[in-house]
Amino acid sequence: MNALQAFSYFLREAAVGLARSLRVSLLAIFTIAVSLFLSGMVLLVSKNLSRTVHEWRAEARFAVYLAPEFDAAARAALRPAIEMGRWTEGLEEITPEVARIRFERAFPSLAELVADRGEGALPFSFEARLKTVPASEMEAFTTWVEDLRSRPGVVMVDADQDWISQVETLLALIRGLGIALAAILLGASVFTIASVVRLTSFLYREEIAVMRLVGATEFYIRGPFYFEGILQGLLGGLLAVGALGGVHVLIAPRVASSLVAGALAESFLSPTELAALVLFGAIAGWTGAVVSLSRESLETPG
Amino acid sequence: MIQFFGVSRRFPTGQSALDGINLEIARGEFCFITGASGAGKTTLLKLIFREDVPSAGQILVNGRNVSLIPRSKIPFLRRTIGVVFQDFRLIERKTIFENVAFLPRILGLDHGRQKRVAFEALRRVGLSHRMASFPSQLSGGEKQRVAIARALINEPEILIADEPTGNLDQELSQEIVRLFLDIHLRGTTVLFATHDRVLIESVGHRVLTLAQGRLIDDRPSRRSPAPHSPPPPSDPMPSIAGTDSGESA
Repeated sequence: MNALQAFSYFLREAAVGLARSLRVSLLAIFTIAVSLFLSGMVLLVSKNLSRTVHEWRAEARFAVYLAPEFDAAARAALRPAIEMGRWTEGLEEITPEVARIRFERAFPSLAELVADRGEGALPFSFEARLKTVPASEMEAFTTWVEDLRSRPGVVMVDADQDWISQVETLLALIRGLGIALAAILLGASVFTIASVVRLTSFLYREEIAVMRLVGATEFYIRGPFYFEGILQGLLGGLLAVGALGGVHVLIAPRVASSLVAGALAESFLSPTELAALVLFGAIAGWTGAVVSLSRESLETPG
Repeated sequence: MIQFFGVSRRFPTGQSALDGINLEIARGEFCFITGASGAGKTTLLKLIFREDVPSAGQILVNGRNVSLIPRSKIPFLRRTIGVVFQDFRLIERKTIFENVAFLPRILGLDHGRQKRVAFEALRRVGLSHRMASFPSQLSGGEKQRVAIARALINEPEILIADEPTGNLDQELSQEIVRLFLDIHLRGTTVLFATHDRVLIESVGHRVLTLAQGRLIDDRPSRRSPAPHSPPPPSDPMPSIAGTDSGESA
């Protein structure tokens, strides 16, 4: 029997097996679809949040606010200490006047508050773009920020890095929990598929005995059951991809108006990622079949 | 040739199914195996096609020690041995053609050849017109003939039958025995287990009698030796035996 004949035989027998134990097969397909859907959702949320954090990081600023009495000479003395930090670029001095114009532009309704208090309403500051701080340099970065904060005349040091790091930690936590949840659900799917394949092999036990009797090899006997597992996994994967697509279609119109929707659906999974989900389903199905048939379940009865 | 050298089979419970069996069955011989229920007939047959393994002793089938055949190679041994059971063991959801053509199929024969060899095997048992039927549509005698056709499909050197007439009436039993005799005339070694003494006496071939796992009698054939001739040229059986024995299947 050549590969094509074997493939065609396995596929047909697997389809018959699915139909023969339809209800439990549907349960297995549904279980794997749910676990792959949740895995896909975790991937989708993680992907969109990562992109958002990446955008925030690109816009992250570093600012050192100075006391009003800090004169030009003191500022000139402080500047090298700020430039020493290798995590910033494009350092510029923001005068109170520039700060006031920015404030009025950002908060037009509050412009009077600043105007009433005159020139000293907003402090002089240094501003720079904040580069990505690698985890290995985080300690040095924090020490440098603390050093700046402790200098006389420095009122406040504002590093967006602080909260971006917190968001990243949250993101890592979401990812970890998602992966753990997906792994548990996939384990349950593998178990369900293993049970279904085991049940099917039980239904076929007499046929299997006949197959052995006439000289069928294990490859020929087990092939249809492996294909049945793979088929269940593939169908579950396709169902999950369809559900993910449906969720995306529902949420996409709200992306512009909702932060949550943006985090979920600004960009969808790539074809490669979707194909990987379906493939993962097939692998889980195959694993279930292998697990099921590895326990001598196909031994001749009697 | 089938040879048993001091073969015993004891189950883990301590019960002995066979005890020190020594026997030799020549190529092309027709041999009845008889004895009461539980005498060890089925166990003896199972040992030949490696459905079971002896606890002690050696079994040679055409010079090969079947106990030493690796598990992965057992299917290739079974393709040289046809087996027929009392309960037919047909696959109910498959047609008669699919039941009979199973081995040609796994050997990779194209559909046309599968059909030809299945047709010929069924013609030999008089059921070529039932290829599209399902087992449930056949009588007991017809089912057994289908099982025989399936056993013959690969032109086995040895045909083993375990109480093949056990579920049939006397008339159908005689019909089935005639089929086995016809197969034997073509040179096939036939081992026919039965407890039907009338049937055995009506044929007159060699009889091995078992009792409580021991061979208590070995009565030689009263008939003249079979010619062991190949099938006549006018009645050829399309062969699948010459094809790849399916080591890859």
